[in-house]
Amino acid sequence: MKRVLPSAIASAAAIAAVTVAGKLIGLNQTTIGLIFLLVIFALASWRGLVAGATASAVATICFNFFFLPPFYRFTIGDPANWIALVTFVAASIVANRLLVRVQRQAAAAEESRNELRVLYDLSIDLFAATTRVGALEEAASRALRAIGANSGGLLLFDGSPLKQRVLVWNGEEPDDIVEDMVAGVGRHRRSVEIPSPHGRDVYVPLIMGGRAIGAIAVRGATATITWLESVASLVALAVERERYVREIAHVEALRESDQLKSSLLRAVSHDLNSPLTAIALELEALTPIAGEDSAARVASLGNHVAQLQRRISNLLAMARIEAGRTQPRIEPTPAADLFRAARESLPAIRDQRRFDVRVHPDAPDLNVDPVLTLELLVNLIENADRASPAGQAVELIAEPSAQSMVRIEVRDRGPGITKRNHEFDDVEGRGLGLEIVRNLVCVQGGTFELSNRDGGGAVARVELPAAPMMALESI
Amino acid sequence: MKGVFRILVVDDDPGIRSSIASHLRDAGYLVVTAEHGRIALDVFEQERPDLVLTDLAMPEVDGFEVVSTIRRRSATPIIVLSVRGSEEDRVRALDIGADDFVPKPFSVPELLARVRAQLRRAEMRPVNESLRFPGLEIDVERHRVVQNEREVRLTPTEFALLELFASNAGKPVNLDQIVSKIWKGAPGTSPDTVRVHVASLRKKIEPDPSNPRYLVTEPWIGYRFIAEPVE
Repeated sequence: MKRVLPSAIASAAAIAAVTVAGKLIGLNQTTIGLIFLLVIFALASWRGLVAGATASAVATICFNFFFLPPFYRFTIGDPANWIALVTFVAASIVANRLLVRVQRQAAAAEESRNELRVLYDLSIDLFAATTRVGALEEAASRALRAIGANSGGLLLFDGSPLKQRVLVWNGEEPDDIVEDMVAGVGRHRRSVEIPSPHGRDVYVPLIMGGRAIGAIAVRGATATITWLESVASLVALAVERERYVREIAHVEALRESDQLKSSLLRAVSHDLNSPLTAIALELEALTPIAGEDSAARVASLGNHVAQLQRRISNLLAMARIEAGRTQPRIEPTPAADLFRAARESLPAIRDQRRFDVRVHPDAPDLNVDPVLTLELLVNLIENADRASPAGQAVELIAEPSAQSMVRIEVRDRGPGITKRNHEFDDVEGRGLGLEIVRNLVCVQGGTFELSNRDGGGAVARVELPAAPMMALESI
Repeated sequence: MKGVFRILVVDDDPGIRSSIASHLRDAGYLVVTAEHGRIALDVFEQERPDLVLTDLAMPEVDGFEVVSTIRRRSATPIIVLSVRGSEEDRVRALDIGADDFVPKPFSVPELLARVRAQLRRAEMRPVNESLRFPGLEIDVERHRVVQNEREVRLTPTEFALLELFASNAGKPVNLDQIVSKIWKGAPGTSPDTVRVHVASLRKKIEPDPSNPRYLVTEPWIGYRFIAEPVE
């Protein structure tokens, strides 16, 4: 606005000067008309639309008043001079508009050339950046400076737009409005522009594979939304790239740790088990020759060794599952055999505890890996035994369940389950066992739940696939 | 005329080796030991034991090589000691000629039962009379089965299966053996065929099917008759 008045005055002055000069020299109407047009072009291209328009108007008046007869009045005698005046006005207006349009296009071209250059520099910056820690943050920070905002930053989502992590932020600290707006554009995956004390704030989502992975917030933005969206897609690509690079490094580390785990597994299973087996054997040799008072101690030692062996076996099973080395080898297995084998694996419990085993006559065989299933049953029975008061039987149940599944239950009359160990995070012995059970059931396509039992105690319920049973007649 | 059986124990862990040896001696066997595979094969040649008990994981010459080398030279029963969690190893050991396995950790009675079951074969007692187990009597000649003084009616296939299992009491019998002995490798005989007949047999001979006393499945191998014969 400020530049309008001086432009108009300058134009009027220039035309006035040309008029005076023209009159003094005594130029004819054709020559002065051409000179006026020339001056109008010059003013329009130099000072823009206002200067051009003012010059046209003033020149038209002067042309008519001073140079078209009769002189010094606004009437026109010769009709041919009307044509001269109209032509002059039309030429000046057209020239003016053309010039202004060309100038605007040139300015726009310059602007988009600048934007392109910034985008190009930015892409080089983002992608040529090394994969060292912090490189992405630095590049993003430079990108934000290139956008030319008062303040703003780059926020990433951890799974959901509500969980935001500020990667970089320049200028005034982000407030609640920023957080809400960023969550909003993340959810709707569309850019938003709002007026603000800074002028104009723009929020642009970072979209990767149809999913919003973060957002750019620009407060007091001068750049267009389209341009900011281009920047956003570049930044999104760079963020994804960094994530992949990090993932590859992680996978590589995992692979190496898997190899380490495998060799550790062999070593541990052999080196820990061998001395324990030797101790157990020595203890068994002591049992018949121990005196009355030491017999109980020898037995107790034996139990502890057996428990230790079970713990190692659990740890090994867990490590094997985690390393992806446990591939289930499925074969039809009767539940009664699994129950028996599980009790045989726990001689100390087998000799002390009463078991109530009920396999429903219609229960099909289980289509499972017998060794993994034995392992999980042993864990459940050990837990049930530990929870049960002396003299109370542990119940082992197998019955047919819906959709070709067999339901296995291990029931005790202990204190039942609290919320804590229900969530498998109880660390004192129970936790690892249950975690292993859950994993072993899972790899065999079953389900596992732990609940309280009517009348007190807990039920561990495992549903496992049933083996298709052929009828004897069909063979 | 039962002599004293001689058993070769092979394990690289000195603690386990000496413990097993002393338990076997206590049970009345003569024991020779070897700390790894190569020594084991030499001792086997010199001592000609009646049974070999060998660990699988050993440096240099391992248990598998011991099993396959001995099997090429003789029919001496071989029991392998296999660590829990390496079930593939025990299946492989049985495939290359071992007769049975004992999973580590094991209890002494379990070990002794497996040893007895293998040595019973070495006694070469003819099995043409009756096979007797606690609560179960199998009259091989007359094809009669009596369970707790009550006669059980079996189909010819079921009887053949029971006879095969009972005469191998205490030892694993694998599915291939069953198919070739009972069905003579008849085409179309699958493990499922065996399973259906065995399931039916188990229903007839087990007094409480929830708590099997006679016949159980042996994971990835086949079946094992678990009752010990009555002398």
